[in-house]
Amino acid sequence: MNRYSRRQMLRLGGVGAAGVLLAACGKQAGVEESKNISAVGVVPEPEGLPTAEVNDVVLLRTAASLEFNAIETYDAALGLGVFTGAFAAAADIAERLRDDHRGHADAVNGLVAKLGGEPFTCGNPRLNEVYIAPALALIADEANENPSLDVVVLAHALENLAAQTYQSVVTMLSDKALRQAAMTIGQEEARHAAVLAQALNPGLAGVLPSIDEATGKPKVAAVPGAFGPLTPIPVTLGAKNADGSRTTLNLETPSLNSLAYDYVTCS
Amino acid sequence: MTLPAASPTPPTAPDRALLAFANSAELAARDLYAEAAALPAFGAAEQTVLVGFHDHHLAAAQALAGLVGKAATNVREDAVYDAFRGKVTGSDKSAIYDALRELENTLVSTHLSLVGTLEGTEGSALVASILSIQARHAAALALLGGRALADAFTNAAAPLSPGATS
Repeated sequence: MNRYSRRQMLRLGGVGAAGVLLAACGKQAGVEESKNISAVGVVPEPEGLPTAEVNDVVLLRTAASLEFNAIETYDAALGLGVFTGAFAAAADIAERLRDDHRGHADAVNGLVAKLGGEPFTCGNPRLNEVYIAPALALIADEANENPSLDVVVLAHALENLAAQTYQSVVTMLSDKALRQAAMTIGQEEARHAAVLAQALNPGLAGVLPSIDEATGKPKVAAVPGAFGPLTPIPVTLGAKNADGSRTTLNLETPSLNSLAYDYVTCS
Repeated sequence: MTLPAASPTPPTAPDRALLAFANSAELAARDLYAEAAALPAFGAAEQTVLVGFHDHHLAAAQALAGLVGKAATNVREDAVYDAFRGKVTGSDKSAIYDALRELENTLVSTHLSLVGTLEGTEGSALVASILSIQARHAAALALLGGRALADAFTNAAAPLSPGATS
């Protein structure tokens, strides 16, 4: 019977473990190589984003993408069939605002084409993913007690987002005429927001900021302050959660991760 | 990669003259709202809104003065005040709301014109933030005055120009 000393056992064990490690690091027949699976001693080549410049065309394409976000949201809202009863008149307003956004999209894409860019003709994919799709899902949830009201709440938030976006690009656009064109549309978005605010909180009491005494939270106001805000826009939607609260999304104007760069397409 | 114009540019000398004019026009609006709020036709809730809009125009004038410093006169533009003063009177609340809406739309058009003229982005950013609110003023006044929805959205007012009014 062979007998191994403790030292010999440790030595053999070390050799075995090294073999297993080397086998794991080596190429294996029939296994496709992936840059995502790194091996010891092999540094994967980094795959960065395409080089992109943030210029007037990109900023205007981004504005156009928001217009399509609004168009698509109004279409979706109208398709939900929630504008009934007390909200029947809201369907007319929604159609009017959607048509205004179509006009804005055409105007902005006209500027894009004039600058030699490719017009952007669909909703901003990033904003769709993080804001609009989740919001519409919350609204359409069967447990939601007031989808009609939530549609107006979402529309109001999107109009504020559009108004803020145009205001925010004023300092970024290099051409003065483009700044004026942006704000010509931006002030129309602000008017949309004011009218929808009045639909949510009507009359004199809904014009200036006020606090809901029952909840301690600010009420919707047609005119939120002396200067156009550039702050996140909270929007609370959907059915109540188990703890009685509802989901709140914070909408923010597009930034580096949501601009409609030249390489972003609608296909 | 960063967003362009991370550092706003200050007003040029011609910018300062235009922003000073905007300061004077805002003070004219402030005084017209003071006149309206003092009219007995309006109740307490209406006065609250009118005083709120008065305060917004005052804040706009102060911000513009802060940006241009000594270039600001901090005196109201009498031509603007005189053009609207006769309409902000009496007991016809709808007519007064219409006059104030026309005033707001005139200021929005004026500020839009400035945004297309100003070289420095500090000035254009401030004016953009002011006109965004004044567009909301106009929309709210259309609704308070019982006007059609389209009147809240449209603005046919011509812009003021410094040479034409002073």
